[in-house]
Amino acid sequence: MTTPRVGERTGRIGDSTARPDGTPKVTGAFAFSSDLYLTGMLWGVTVRAPHPRAEIHGVDVGPALAVRGVAAALTAEDVPGRAVYGLDVPDQPVLARDTVRYQGEPVALVAADHPETARRAAAEVAVDYTVLEPLTDPRRALDDGSPQLHPGGNLVRHVPIRRGDPQPTAEVVVTGEYTVGMQDQAFLGPESGLAVPAADGGVDLYIATQWLHVDRDQVAAALGLAPELVRLHLSGVGGAFGAREDLSMQIHACLLALRTGRPVKMVYSREESFFGHVHRHPAILRYEHGATREGRLVYVKAEILLDGGAYASTSQAVAGNAATHAAGPYEVPNAHVDVYALYTNNPPCGAMRGFGAVQACFGYESQMDRLAAACGLDPAEIRIRNAMREGSAAITGQVLDFPAPVAELVRRVRDRPLPPQRSTDLRAMPGGVGGTTHGEDVVRGVGYGVSIKNVCFSEGFDDFATARVRLEVTGGEPVATVFTAACEVGQGLVTVQEQVVRTELGVDRVMIAPADTSVGGAGSSSASRQTYMTTGAVRAACAKVRDRLAGRDPASLGDEVIDATVEWRHRPTSPLDPVTGQGFAHVQYAFAAHRAVVDVDLGLGLVKVVELATAQDVGKAVNPLAVAGQIHGGSAQGLGLALMEEIQVRDGEIVNPSFTDYLIPTVLDMPPMSLDVLELADPNAPYGVRGVGEPPTISSTPAIVAAVRAATGRNLNRVPVRPEHITAEGLSVEAGR
Amino acid sequence: MRPFTFVRAIDADQAVAGYAREPEWAMYLGGGTNLVDLMRLGVAEPGLLIDVTRLPYDRVEEAPGGGLRIGAAVRNSDLAADPAVRRDYPVLAAALLAGASGQLRNQATVGGNLLQRTRCGYFQDVTKPCNKRRSGSGCPAVEGDHRNLAILGHSEHCVATHPSDMAVALTALGATVHVRGRAGERIVPMPGLHRLPGDEPDRDTVLDPGDLITAVELPPLELAARSRYRKVRERASFAFALVSVAAALDAEDGAVRDCRIALGGVAHVPWRAEAAEEELRGGPATDDAFRAAADAELAAARPLRDNGYKVPLARELIVRTLAELRDGTGADASGGTP
Amino acid sequence: MRVELTVNGEPQVADDVWEGESLLYVLRERLGLPGAKNACEQGECGSCTVYLDGTVVCACLVAAGQAEGAEVVTVEGLADGDALDPVQRAFLDAGAVQCGFCTPGLVVAVHDLLARTPDPAEADVREALAGNLCRCTGYEHILAAVRLAAERGGEGRS
Repeated sequence: MTTPRVGERTGRIGDSTARPDGTPKVTGAFAFSSDLYLTGMLWGVTVRAPHPRAEIHGVDVGPALAVRGVAAALTAEDVPGRAVYGLDVPDQPVLARDTVRYQGEPVALVAADHPETARRAAAEVAVDYTVLEPLTDPRRALDDGSPQLHPGGNLVRHVPIRRGDPQPTAEVVVTGEYTVGMQDQAFLGPESGLAVPAADGGVDLYIATQWLHVDRDQVAAALGLAPELVRLHLSGVGGAFGAREDLSMQIHACLLALRTGRPVKMVYSREESFFGHVHRHPAILRYEHGATREGRLVYVKAEILLDGGAYASTSQAVAGNAATHAAGPYEVPNAHVDVYALYTNNPPCGAMRGFGAVQACFGYESQMDRLAAACGLDPAEIRIRNAMREGSAAITGQVLDFPAPVAELVRRVRDRPLPPQRSTDLRAMPGGVGGTTHGEDVVRGVGYGVSIKNVCFSEGFDDFATARVRLEVTGGEPVATVFTAACEVGQGLVTVQEQVVRTELGVDRVMIAPADTSVGGAGSSSASRQTYMTTGAVRAACAKVRDRLAGRDPASLGDEVIDATVEWRHRPTSPLDPVTGQGFAHVQYAFAAHRAVVDVDLGLGLVKVVELATAQDVGKAVNPLAVAGQIHGGSAQGLGLALMEEIQVRDGEIVNPSFTDYLIPTVLDMPPMSLDVLELADPNAPYGVRGVGEPPTISSTPAIVAAVRAATGRNLNRVPVRPEHITAEGLSVEAGR
Repeated sequence: MRPFTFVRAIDADQAVAGYAREPEWAMYLGGGTNLVDLMRLGVAEPGLLIDVTRLPYDRVEEAPGGGLRIGAAVRNSDLAADPAVRRDYPVLAAALLAGASGQLRNQATVGGNLLQRTRCGYFQDVTKPCNKRRSGSGCPAVEGDHRNLAILGHSEHCVATHPSDMAVALTALGATVHVRGRAGERIVPMPGLHRLPGDEPDRDTVLDPGDLITAVELPPLELAARSRYRKVRERASFAFALVSVAAALDAEDGAVRDCRIALGGVAHVPWRAEAAEEELRGGPATDDAFRAAADAELAAARPLRDNGYKVPLARELIVRTLAELRDGTGADASGGTP
Repeated sequence: MRVELTVNGEPQVADDVWEGESLLYVLRERLGLPGAKNACEQGECGSCTVYLDGTVVCACLVAAGQAEGAEVVTVEGLADGDALDPVQRAFLDAGAVQCGFCTPGLVVAVHDLLARTPDPAEADVREALAGNLCRCTGYEHILAAVRLAAERGGEGRS
């Protein structure tokens, strides 16, 4: 619903060009999906099941329809097409028909002329439930006595990796069990959109999403419409971080719009948002690392349970990632890894920034610290000693045929000067404005974390992006317009596209058309892939335009319009061998290293992160300011997981679905962040780029926890670390002395 | 949200009379930072909402007998910035600034802050039983999620905590609450305004339906000039307390002459630590004595399955706060940008 | 009910307002000013920060009736035509905008901070902005924007 804007900016690849959407975003003019408005539109509301597991015997929408102002109330009976959807496995009902598998599962829909009317009417929908005992412990999911939640059983995917000696031995062995809590993406812009019925029987959906075409295909299937009758238009996206990869209200709004013949807007409340998207998989990780006395890794054994919750979402791919990244960015000749993604009646889990690599990283980095201690080595040194480099083989057997400066990244953060001992401002102490200490009982610690993350889609997925570039003369000046379905979710993709075109065509005026499904697919803005992929596609389209230009000055085109479309692919990957887990599964890896410095109040269990230093190889910093912003933001989300963020689930029910009770870092929680950005080009990637968004989220968590361990001597095998994890163990220390 | 009528009262008579016409369904509205949220959640369902923010209770002035009289409609940020409060009752300014965010402090009123409802998750979720919300429906928190709930004074019917920071300071200071009811004016002391849950957890305070808080009065209290508020929470700002302490101390030559201590985040009321005060008065102002005083208070603690960590937290915070007051260290953390 | 108020200097009338609507809803859905955002509608994120009679508040928790007769300034009222406010300019120049959902609330909060404290210390900035959540930036570039706006403001005054 935004019109193309003429860029006034002139930056090319490597410049910190300003965002084309920056001015509307600072003035309030930018239209997010929750800002859309059409005269005569209705408001849609979802009726959700209050139980994590139940049978449904009937849904009576009659009382809702009787409310004045209500235009429609729909149930599973009203879904004209495919009744289920899902990114990889279509196992999730559009509306629950006879079974509820998680608390908050959509059961019915209401549309009315005012959002409050719709909410009140939704409360009138009568659902007849028989409540059943939920399966909430993923460790029980495969037990004989546990209820089978889906026809195929409760195993979503098992990924084994077997490499080298099946029964290795080592001089030094360390073991550990670690737990990662359920994290929420907590984007600020709630799930929302506007569905507009069209004269051709189809529907136009203005939506905040990460992947227009896969949304489109799932919506069309549920509506029983041909895909071309379902047109998706990207609206302003208020952050994503994985939470917009699955559908939320897309099908629902379209169902209501087609039923009523009127535009229907849906906007989730924050509480509903906690029920309306998938979360980061909680994980239980058991590790055994074997090494020589000198600290060289001999083997890694790991068993990782990922609680996928009620529906599959992207659990299969998350499990693949957890497995292939299970040993971290280290050379290890022998590996025995089993990752299980499981169905339970907990909230569904799927994509979140880091995608399986986050959980594994907390496990293997905790282990590397234990190993360092066991070998009497410095934590940075043991990482350097085992670091992957170009030519190393991963535990999947994949040889890294691109720069992999892991040791250098660790050295960079290690060699930075440490921050001054203590600030005089109490707000910089543990406890912040609570003023709980002025230095008494405060100890400092330093810790490291190093991440590895695949970029782009993996395991043989046909991963492509489409771009169309049009060059013409308008108002006497050459203007290039870029058409893609690639989703700007805040990362700065629109800026990058302009920079590519200016670089390739030498044209200053570049317009980025609103993303929609009128062009070919771009794939998802996820997996740190969209700059890689859409940059590749736009550059290739520009090359085609340049060919047709055949050396002419673009200003001399006259009335001629050059228009070129390219569907661009990265080099193919292959599936993992189902028995050994070997294979060329990932097109690229990205790496980051963090050093965290923390102050911990031993008496109160409070942590202040004093500084986070990051070193990351980005291949090529297409827009250095945006790269820094990605690293800062990713590090902040990792800090949140380390110290405060957890969706607390009890008996399958979310206890804290609000920003009052699900805490994300404020500006007072964030430390100064120093960056070292390396640019070692990946020869396989356009401009040598390497995905940026995920690695910093992955490694900041273990770095912070390692620093807290170093300060306190506590084990801290679970994130987020709570005050009582520090003080409770503290009591036993106190009692002992 | 249930439909309701909105009226704006211009004086107390009008407000109280308006309430009397709809006693079952009327509620007073202050800054709205808690009530509007509770209405949206369906926890509060007034049929008549009486806006009392325009009542002429927006001043902080010297009380007739010394001390300070604070109008019930004074905004939290204005009160925190008041020079007399900052000088004579720094614990109150610090408690106010420890609460919520700048935006919310600009909205929230003194009267409304006192009447905040608990943040217990079961109270906020209308799909769950809660004795506070629906008397007799049960308390899932006793066996359920109670990591952040009460360790003192709770009952089998309710283990919720009072969320206000300001009220903890007022409780330590021995403030009085001026109330206008159908039977005229009366004065309720603090502690004494808030009540323990017992078997009536639906009643947060001793106020009767229709009672309107018009002012809070702080007594002249010399030792309050040396007072502190300290708050433990899970992020550096903008979160409710796990445990907080408001304290004032008059110590000389190594002995405690007088003191005031109240705890937040530990009980259904802002908890005046009388046992600790008793233990301290006349005794030595040593860390050991502070610890003994804290232990005397916390001897009554009955932690639940998952909140026992609050006991050592409270002990540590009491000792630190008192030591800080004795030593004159640790100025207020907040820059207190008004 | 009818609500009459002044928004960004212009008298505004909203008719048929339901009592349960918030000032935020009135601004966004009745007056066509969606700049203030609806990220949490519980006062927990600051994305709906507006000036209400000269102080910044969360518009989501202001009952519509309480805005009667009030002077409201939203993010839409800060720029002077095409000339951005220095705070807006600084957000762009410092790279403080990513998804932009927190941006309107932060711009208003920073505008208020610098109006009261033209040259704030970093700890004061952090404390003043703790009521505005951002999920994209880690706040580093937002702090840079505040410094930049403060510096430029200082230049403007000298």
